[in-house]
Amino acid sequence: MIKQVLISTISKILPTKVAYAHCDIPCGIYDPYQAQLAAISIIRMTGMINDLTTSSSEPSFDERKKIIHQISRLTKVKEEHAELCKHEVRILWADYFKEEHLREYPNLHDLVFSIMKHASKARQEINMEESKELLEKVQKLAEIFWKTKSRKVTKIESSSPSGGKIVIPQ
Amino acid sequence: MLLSYFVIVGHSMEPSFKNGSFALVSSIPYLFIKPKVGDIIAFKKEDKIFIKRIAKINPPAGGGKKYFVKGDNNKDSLETGWINKKEILGKVIAKI
Repeated sequence: MIKQVLISTISKILPTKVAYAHCDIPCGIYDPYQAQLAAISIIRMTGMINDLTTSSSEPSFDERKKIIHQISRLTKVKEEHAELCKHEVRILWADYFKEEHLREYPNLHDLVFSIMKHASKARQEINMEESKELLEKVQKLAEIFWKTKSRKVTKIESSSPSGGKIVIPQ
Repeated sequence: MLLSYFVIVGHSMEPSFKNGSFALVSSIPYLFIKPKVGDIIAFKKEDKIFIKRIAKINPPAGGGKKYFVKGDNNKDSLETGWINKKEILGKVIAKI
């Protein structure tokens, strides 16, 4: 009651201005889940492209059309998820991780650099090995992320038919 | 800014200042004393006013003192980084 009267009185004398207690965005929304899911999607798309077959060595025009169409769609999604993966990792790297984390995990910069390279390679090529290596690196980053929050982690199987595990806090 | 009244928007100063709480800020204290580590200050950056705590002060190195400001909510707050004395609007003198 006294507080309300005080606030009301002060706001009559002084205009209320806004002071932000955050920088670019509100706090508490960092999570490496999306980056891992994007890496798993790249594995899935790569697998689906690799699995495409034709009924013969000389497929009909209609069949070729369908395959080209399917490859275009799969490639588009693979491209998008590679960029999404890089975007999510860049946010963690630039906005979440601090100097104290770097002191504790001195390989953090190298790990992020490596993720960027693997994501680019997985996007450029139809390369299952690169795609799997990308997921492995992003999982390592997720482990570090949760350790900085003093959380133990566990790996759960994703729902992707092509497999791939996701590091989550216990 | 002799005396200003602010509503705090954001979570980075929790638990000291919760989202939606109010603060009185004045430039008068810094007419007599220098800003020090631990002070909660209001400062202007890119036309926005922020409230953060001074975490570090670097020694003068040609360009004058710089102040490293950050939120109290270390779990997730973005660090704002270094600011100049001229960007400091005042010290938080009361929480309402």
